[in-house]
Amino acid sequence: MDVSNHTILSRKKEKAAKALLWTAVLLTLAILLGIILYIMVRGFVSRQEKSYFVSPFLEETLKSEETGEYAMKIIVHRQVKISDLTMEDLRTIYTKSRAENWGHYSMQDKRITALAPSRNTPLGKAAETLIAGPEGGFGSYVAYLEDDEEMIRRIAEDPAGIGIIEADTPVTNRKVKVVPVRRIVVAVHPSVKEIIDNRQLSVITEKELKLVLSGDITDWKDLGGHDRPIRLIRPPEAWGLDELVSPSDIPAADSPEDFFRMITDLPDSLGLCFYDDAAAGGLSILEVSRREVKGNLTLSFLLEPPARSGKWGGISTIILNTLFLILFTLLFAAPAGVLAAIYLVEYAKQGPLVSLLRRGTETLAGVPSIIFGLFGNIFFVNTLGLGIGFISSTLTVTMMILPTIIRTSEEALKAVPLSYREGSLALGASKLQTTFKVVLPAAVPGILTGLILALGRVVGETAVLLYTLGSNYELVRGPSSSARVLSLHLYFLFSEAISFDRAFATGAILVFIILLVNYSTTRLIGRAGRMSG
Amino acid sequence: MEEQPSKFRIKDLDLFYGDNQALKDVTLEVRSHRVTALIGPSGCGKSTFIRTLNRMNDLIDHVRITGDVLYEGVNIYADYDVIELRKRIGMVFQKPNPFPMSIYENIAYGPKIHGITSKSLLDDLVENSLKAAALWEEVSDRLHKPALGLSGGQQQRLCIARVLAVEPDVVLMDEPTSALDPISTSRIEELIFELKKKYTIIIVTHNMQQAGRVSDTTAFFLNGVVVEYGDTEKIFFNPEDSRTEAYISGRFG
Repeated sequence: MDVSNHTILSRKKEKAAKALLWTAVLLTLAILLGIILYIMVRGFVSRQEKSYFVSPFLEETLKSEETGEYAMKIIVHRQVKISDLTMEDLRTIYTKSRAENWGHYSMQDKRITALAPSRNTPLGKAAETLIAGPEGGFGSYVAYLEDDEEMIRRIAEDPAGIGIIEADTPVTNRKVKVVPVRRIVVAVHPSVKEIIDNRQLSVITEKELKLVLSGDITDWKDLGGHDRPIRLIRPPEAWGLDELVSPSDIPAADSPEDFFRMITDLPDSLGLCFYDDAAAGGLSILEVSRREVKGNLTLSFLLEPPARSGKWGGISTIILNTLFLILFTLLFAAPAGVLAAIYLVEYAKQGPLVSLLRRGTETLAGVPSIIFGLFGNIFFVNTLGLGIGFISSTLTVTMMILPTIIRTSEEALKAVPLSYREGSLALGASKLQTTFKVVLPAAVPGILTGLILALGRVVGETAVLLYTLGSNYELVRGPSSSARVLSLHLYFLFSEAISFDRAFATGAILVFIILLVNYSTTRLIGRAGRMSG
Repeated sequence: MEEQPSKFRIKDLDLFYGDNQALKDVTLEVRSHRVTALIGPSGCGKSTFIRTLNRMNDLIDHVRITGDVLYEGVNIYADYDVIELRKRIGMVFQKPNPFPMSIYENIAYGPKIHGITSKSLLDDLVENSLKAAALWEEVSDRLHKPALGLSGGQQQRLCIARVLAVEPDVVLMDEPTSALDPISTSRIEELIFELKKKYTIIIVTHNMQQAGRVSDTTAFFLNGVVVEYGDTEKIFFNPEDSRTEAYISGRFG
């Protein structure tokens, strides 16, 4: 069969158009999924490259030359969310004069209960020497216990407890866990940390350190330093660190003093030693960074109240505040908006006044929220004297979403066929009965959609709330109490650079709430719409 | 045919939509327990006329009515409560318009708004109305299913049942079969025949055969004027006016 040129051209155009459409669709999908996935991944998992003075090597059993044969281990309650502690942290916890907070180490807002073995026992003496360091003894808030049994029992009872027991004592209580300590540092000759070409080598990664110690990296250049070979020094046997250093053909230190001398005298040298020894020997330290992957959006993040501006704790009160705001706003706005729409569609005489009203609501629905914030602050907060707090913000947000609710409800009511109204009126129903028993139920799916749109605006609203709700992150207590909702919390976490991880976790929750709301509305609308075929 | 008492007495009825006169000087009498058919070409005012009988034209802005419409001797535009009137005078529309509710709720709606709350009474009313509308057999097992799931013909009979549930005196039908297939149409026509025993029926129809089949008296409307009104047989076989004859024989309309 002959195909005319025109047909061929049409086919080609069709193909080109299809390709263009598909590109647009895929691009949109990629952008959408990209954004949501990014927020979800960053919200759920926190990945950080953190550099420490001490290297990532863990020690469960702690001892030193001064403590002699008394080796010890550190135990905490299982609910304390730490996987290890640095020597500095441990020292801070035990030597502070006032109770330290776990927030600094595990982001949990709870006062640390620090327990130590009695100073009368050899273990107690050894622990104080080792942990408090050369400068002084334990802080005054540390409590002392007589034996390890009691220590384990007390810590099992106290979710904020930390204690010290003998290394040989087995820990069988499931509520108690042993925490390894990091106190091995990388000591280098000062020449290594010299500035060359505007660059200074001060941090290496965990991976690089392992390669250096196994002898696979032999030049400082590979670590970003100057072009000279790394001179690895074997630590003295007494420290028990020689297992960590693999090459055998390297200079070995006979004693700690020998080690300090070699590190300070030999240019380009590198060796492992303990935190306190490095300080005592006045050695240069190379910091080591490690990648820390942790659950970000955890159950406890959802269930704990925030502390320290949201740096510690979770967002439980903030989620509740958000729900309260949504609830009360809809409580005010939904009846008012729907009734206004009923008036406009069913009762008002369609004249210039109504069209003016309609144009007004349309304009208000498009007004930037910050203007409502300004209005709320001037009118509700100041003129009416309600102050910054829950009631002012609820009223302001109600004002903000009312036009949207009126507009969408109007459309929903207008979409109800006239024949329903006629059918009802012809049966002798009054206008009121017709409106509330026939028209309104038929408009429910549309009205619900409008309410959800409005709800989405409330959940995402920040500008208005900044001026009317304040920034208190505790649970709303009354109409005048200042509060914080999710979007506002996210804003503060971000703008005050408190924590990006927490900002993302909060963002993920916001996205979740929106998803949940949209899903449940679809279900609700489905149920309401079932009667209409 | 024996004489029936008069149900409606319409005298000098004029109806204006704004400046546009839709009904001119309509005067006629509708007898009780008869089927009165209103025929005429599109735009002749027959639908407007039927809507004046239960005051459905009140819903439209800028409508002006002069003249008298007496229902059982009472002027419905002066001395009758509109809700009471519509309760007595039910209406079935051109397009089936069941509410988006269950079949049961559709029927029970009318009685409920008129104050009947007893469940057993409502149940009886629903059953009787559906039976009277010849729909009971088809829907008795799915009373609580959405009414909009019914076929067009069933929906229209549901609308009739809905009107009957209010226990009216008169049933107005505005082209009740124009949106239906022939089988559904014939069922509705049979139904009209049955209903005639209990109710006074006024039906607007486009379908001349239908008017001939179902009605006892026929009024022929043209340009808002009643050209001829009388027994259906006479209108169809022996019209007085040449325009009626022209319309009946299909020369216009």
